[in-house]
Order: sequence, then C-alpha cells, then structure tokens
Amino acid sequence: MAEKKKLTVAEILAAARSSDGKGEAPTASPVASDSRPEDALPAEGASAKPTAAKPTAAKPTPAKPTPAAAQSAPGGARPSVADILAQARAKKASGEQPAASTAPSVKAKAPAPAATSVATKPAVATGGAKTGVQRDTASILAAARAAAKPGPTSKADAPTRPAAKPRESVKPAEEKAAPPRTVATLPPKPVKPAKKSATEGEDRRGFMQIALGSAMAMGFTALSVTGGLFTLGLARFMFPNVLAEPPSKFKVGFKDGFPQGKVETKYVAQYGVWVVNGDFQGQQQIYALKTVCTHLGCTPSWLEAEQKFKCPCHGSGFYKDGVNFEGPAPRPLERYAIRTADDGQLEIDKSKAFQEELGQWADPDSYITV
Amino acid sequence: MHASGFFLKDVAGFLGGYYAFVALMNGIAALILWRKKGQIGWALVWTVFSIAMMVLASLALSASPELVPALPASVRATVNRYSGPVLYTLGTFALLMGMFIFRKFFVRPMVAWALLNAMLLLMGLSMADQNFASIVMKPDNVPIVGLVFMLAFFTWLATSQAVVNDDRIARGLPTVEKENDEKVLVWPDLVYTELICMVAVSAFLLIWAICLPAPLEEPASSVKTPNPSKAPWYFLGLQEMLVYFDPWYAGVVLPSLVIFGLMAMPYLDFNKKGNGYYSIEERKFSYLTYQFGFFLLWITLIILGTFLRGPNWNFFGPFEYWTPYKVEVLNNVDLPQMFWGGLLDRPLPKAPAGASGLVQAGTILLRECAGLAIMGAYLVLLPPLMAVTVFRGFYAKMGFVRYMVMANLMLLMLTLPIKMILRWTFNLRYIISIPEISLNF
Repeated sequence: MAEKKKLTVAEILAAARSSDGKGEAPTASPVASDSRPEDALPAEGASAKPTAAKPTAAKPTPAKPTPAAAQSAPGGARPSVADILAQARAKKASGEQPAASTAPSVKAKAPAPAATSVATKPAVATGGAKTGVQRDTASILAAARAAAKPGPTSKADAPTRPAAKPRESVKPAEEKAAPPRTVATLPPKPVKPAKKSATEGEDRRGFMQIALGSAMAMGFTALSVTGGLFTLGLARFMFPNVLAEPPSKFKVGFKDGFPQGKVETKYVAQYGVWVVNGDFQGQQQIYALKTVCTHLGCTPSWLEAEQKFKCPCHGSGFYKDGVNFEGPAPRPLERYAIRTADDGQLEIDKSKAFQEELGQWADPDSYITV
Repeated sequence: MHASGFFLKDVAGFLGGYYAFVALMNGIAALILWRKKGQIGWALVWTVFSIAMMVLASLALSASPELVPALPASVRATVNRYSGPVLYTLGTFALLMGMFIFRKFFVRPMVAWALLNAMLLLMGLSMADQNFASIVMKPDNVPIVGLVFMLAFFTWLATSQAVVNDDRIARGLPTVEKENDEKVLVWPDLVYTELICMVAVSAFLLIWAICLPAPLEEPASSVKTPNPSKAPWYFLGLQEMLVYFDPWYAGVVLPSLVIFGLMAMPYLDFNKKGNGYYSIEERKFSYLTYQFGFFLLWITLIILGTFLRGPNWNFFGPFEYWTPYKVEVLNNVDLPQMFWGGLLDRPLPKAPAGASGLVQAGTILLRECAGLAIMGAYLVLLPPLMAVTVFRGFYAKMGFVRYMVMANLMLLMLTLPIKMILRWTFNLRYIISIPEISLNF
C-alpha cells in the first residue's frame, strides 16, 4: 500500500509547492510543476515570509469550500495541506518520483507569493471559508506526519501535536466530512475553537495523569490503610486474651522455710526468682531477687561454694545480697516486691521491681525484715 | 566424660590418621623439592620428618597411654598455670608483632612450612589431652581450628607477595603484578573456576554436615542459660568485648563503628600507593592499623572465646578441665569509687532522698567528674594533640574533617585494648558509671 508509506520531507514540500504553483499558474501540468528540492528552497522562503507583509496588496481570491473541490479544480484557490498530501501520495503510488521530474515551470512561482499568501487573509476574515492554510514548513510537516499515521487520526490525534503551532487546531467533525484525514487549518474563529480545543486537550492529556495519579493515590491509600490496620493488629497482639504465663503474684511458703543465709533456687525454673534470707547493710532481710543479669540479661547461677551469683555469659558476679562486684554488670540485681500475705505465707509480686541504684531497696515493699 | 583409657581408644584412630596425613604431606613436599635442583637438603629434612610422623602415627594407633605421643604432664600444667587473658592477649600481640617485624624471614617457604609442621605437631600432641581434645574436637569449634590454619595460610600468602614487591620496589623494579599482568577472560576462565569452586565447596559442606552434626540442645528457656553460654563463633569477639563494656557500647556502638570505619576507609585513605599490588612498606600505617583491628581485636578474641573461655566465662588454660566451680577473684570497681574512695578518701557524693531532678543530675555529674574529665580529654583533646605531634603529616595531607574522622575512629578502636589493660591492671570496671540511666563506659 502506497498510502501507508511515509512520505519524505522532500516529497511533501515538493507536493506543497506544486499545488501552490497550480494555484498561481493553472496552466502548468501537475508533473511539470513538481519542483526539485534545490529549487524548492527559495520558493518556500518566498511563499512563507510575506504573509503579513502586504495584506492590502492581495487580490481576493474566491475561497474554495472543500479540499476536494480544490483538487478537482486546480485553477481555483490554494488547496489545503491535505489535498497536497493526497496528491503527493497518489503520485508516489503511481511510481513518479518528484525529485526526478524536471521543473522548467517552477520559476513561474517566484513572483507569486505575495498574492497567494495574502489571499488567505480575506478568506479568514469572511469566515466560513476554510482555505486559510499556513504554508510554513512546520505546519506542512506536522500535517503530513499526522496524516501519515495509520489508523484513525481525526480528533484524538490532535492534542498530541507539538505545541509549537498554536494556531493549528482540529476542526469540528461536522465540518470536515469530505477529507478523510485531519486537516491542520487556521480556524475560522480562532478564539472560541482554540479555547475549546485547549480545554479538550487538557482533559485528554490529564486523563492519563488522573488515571495514573488516582492509581497511585489508591495504592498508597490502600498501603497506608493496610499498614495502619497491621499496626493496630500488632498493638492488639501485645494484649492477648489469655496469658500463658504464671501469675505475677505467687506464694512461696512461710518464713520458716527460709533459714538465715539461705538462697532458695527452686523458684528459678518457674518464676525466675531467688528467695534469699540474707544480710543487707547490716539488716537481716528476706528478699526476692530477679534472675536477670543486669549486664545483658542472662540468668546467673547461684554458686553455693563461693556464695555468689555468677553469670555464664560474660562472667558478672553478684554477692548474696544481689550487689554486683565482679565482671561487667553495672548495677545490682533487681528485687521483686515481697510481703506477708494474710495467711502468713510470703507472697512475691513480680509486677513490681526495685532497683538499688535508684534507692528503691529502702522501700519496705522490697523486703521482709526477719 | 570417661576415663583416660577409653578416651585414648576413641581418639587413637583419629590421631593415627592425623599423623599419617602430616607424614604424607611432608612426603609429597619432599618429593617436589627433590625434583627441583638445589633443594636436596630440605627434601631430606622433610623426608626424615615424614618418617618420624609415620612412627608417631603407629604409636598413636596403639592407643595405649604409655605410647600415644602427648605433651608431658608437667608442660601442660605449666601452660595452664601461666595462661590467662593478659598473657594470651599480650602474647599474641608480641607474636604477631614479631612475625611482622621479621616477616622477611617468616615468609620464606621453608620457614613457613616448618612453622606449619610445628603447629600441626603441637596440635597432635595436645590432642592426646582429653580436656584439650574435648574442646577442639567439638563440632561447634572445628571451624575455628580451620580458621586458624586458613588465616595463617592466607596471611602468609599475601605477606610473601608483599615482601617480594617491597624488595622489587626498593631495587627500582616494577612489581610482580605489573610484570605478569596477563589478562584472563571472565568467560570461561573465571566462571568455570567459580563453578568448580561452588561444586567443591558444596560437596565439602555436605560431607562436613553429615560427619559433624550440629549439637541439638534442650528447648530454650528464659530462666535457664547454658553454662558457658557462647555466641556463634563469629560473634565471640563481640562477646569478649562485652566483658569489658556495657552492652550499648560493646554491642551497638563498637560494631557499628567497625562497619562505619570499614566503609570510611577508602575516603580516609590518601595514600595512592599499593593500588593493585601487594605492598607493606608503602602503606605501613594502613596495614598495621587494619591488621591490629582484625587480628588482635577480632580473630584472637574469637579464638580466646572459643577455646579458652569456659563456664561462667572464666578463663581456662588449654589443658584445663572446664569446671563451673572455678574460683576467680575479680573484684572490679568503678572509677568514681576509686576516685572518691581511694584518692580523696571520701564517700561517694549522694543526692539526699527526695531531691529534685536537677540536684540529682548535678550530684551524678559531680560523682562522675573524674571519668567525664578523662573521657573528654581522650576524645576532645587528644585528636588535636595528635594532629600537632604524631600525626602532623597526616593532618596536613588529610585536612580537618578527614583527619578528625580518622583520629576518632582510631581512638574509639583503641578504647577496647585500653579498657582491657585497665581491667587487668587496676580491676577497673567502668570509667563512667551512671547506672541510673544505664550509661556506663
């Protein structure tokens, strides 16, 4: 399919100029009016520049309503870009190479530009006519690119045009029933369609942003909600319904069970506590020592022969009263609360600990005087 | 635990194979040397040694207490009596320093081979001791034995290349690496080598895991700590550090500083030499600092923690029975107690009961003034002082920031040996001791 083939820039420009030439010199045959690229340069410059230079010098040309009409009647006004392109494609399909054709009549174009370019102005002013076509290279190329794209390229394609050509915009659909492709034309009323197209373009351009943005927003919202719920669940996990651990308060028997100087180790395995009847600062007391080394939390062992608690991890040692004396432990062992219960037994409360370095061992809850 | 006779029967097969392996190793070495010209003398030496090892192997296989080669009991007792953390640490330091200073001698292949044989022979003789064998042959500890030999080998390998390069540089020759800079391809050379290594190591680990199964112990309990309680072998250096420090410092700050310091190394290093080749002379400071931190403050501590720390984290000689009832007197005191009690002969300042927080804080600061002053001087005054004295050249080359980072990293690294020495000499527990807020240093 020749139509699907992309046109080269040279072909497009040549086609544009040839149609220009047709507009000015109706006698020229289509083949002969094809210009070579080197010839195209001055002609293009001449036709593009004087658009605004001499508007009054223009001889009003009757505007042709459709590109199709322009194609069928080469003697009329300038055809639109779409027509030019269609022509170029047709030529290409028929095997003619624009560059290969000779162009003796090209020079005829040279005096023309002022008249041609300005001819569009009145057409715009009168309104309704749609032959006001920009003739600069950029617009031609843009139109060609848009047209060269396969598939439907009418409205949806328009917003994706480069913003460098602000005057170019899509025509309303009902106006361009005849040409199959989008035509970049100067809008009859630049203000309103421009505005419309601008809002339309923003909506479309923004659609992806909104769609993508909302996806991100939804994702992050979901993430934060999940994270929040997870945190709440974790917090709930910290307060279990059932605690599978011994109660913090337990009874260890009567005072008589703890003779002077004895370190009772039988509660270590279940409760993690030594019950000691020992001497602290000259006072005979019964106290409950927590079996956690104050250095790094290992469980020391009571060495009866040496009368000390000794930690197996880093060698910290504590006297019978719990005061640290060797190794790295920085402070004495902690005491649990102890009291004489109503039935006369000793009751230890593990929910309350007493630290010597904070002066809490003076608290009467931390010991029982013997 | 069983009687000596049974133990020897258990260990005899292993020892026989061990000595036979050493003999075979030396036989191969002798054969290689024999084929080389001019090494006949050494070939004869190792042949004789190999034969001696074969004799030891047959003696060991006899499994009789009289014949199995072992260190004399008096030697073992002497070693036990004199070994301790102080001698161990200072001894390894002296040994490594000696090997560093006389590295030109120690990197000679024949000297290194002789040292390896001496190590293997000493280990074999020690293995006949039940206490030694029970620790060294424990499945947990076998990797550390491997670590000792492998570290020795790789250090020797790198040092010997560095010595060769230093010699060449001194004579104005290009380094060995520059001379033989033959390139090999990643594919297939490197990738194939890696593949083969992967297969070999996997096979080795499989066999190891089958032959030396990991010990399975009772379920963990928060109120029961095994005695001795040991970290994984690679953390035993940390555990040894914890003997001298509070957990926040030895367990958090120092390990982080190790990682941070290793990461900072390329940025602190201003010495462009030694890039791409082994050299000691050209980067003596970097080499010594690194090896000090690595060998003295990490590897020897791992070995100490593995083989010489027994129940209750007491120090045990290599041939000593690990009894949990060993009594070691360690009356440690904090610096404030020394300062107020010992020096000023006054009781420790103590805030009256019910005093406001400000008064309590002031009292604590007053109590700890000596330790705070010492630590302040150590960390604040010492870096600038070093900048104008020992590290003058470093400071000029590195600039303020880099120098300060380097100096502080170094000083913090040195807190460990300093604290160890203070513990051994003055029985000092903490320089700053504020148990009220768990801040001890």
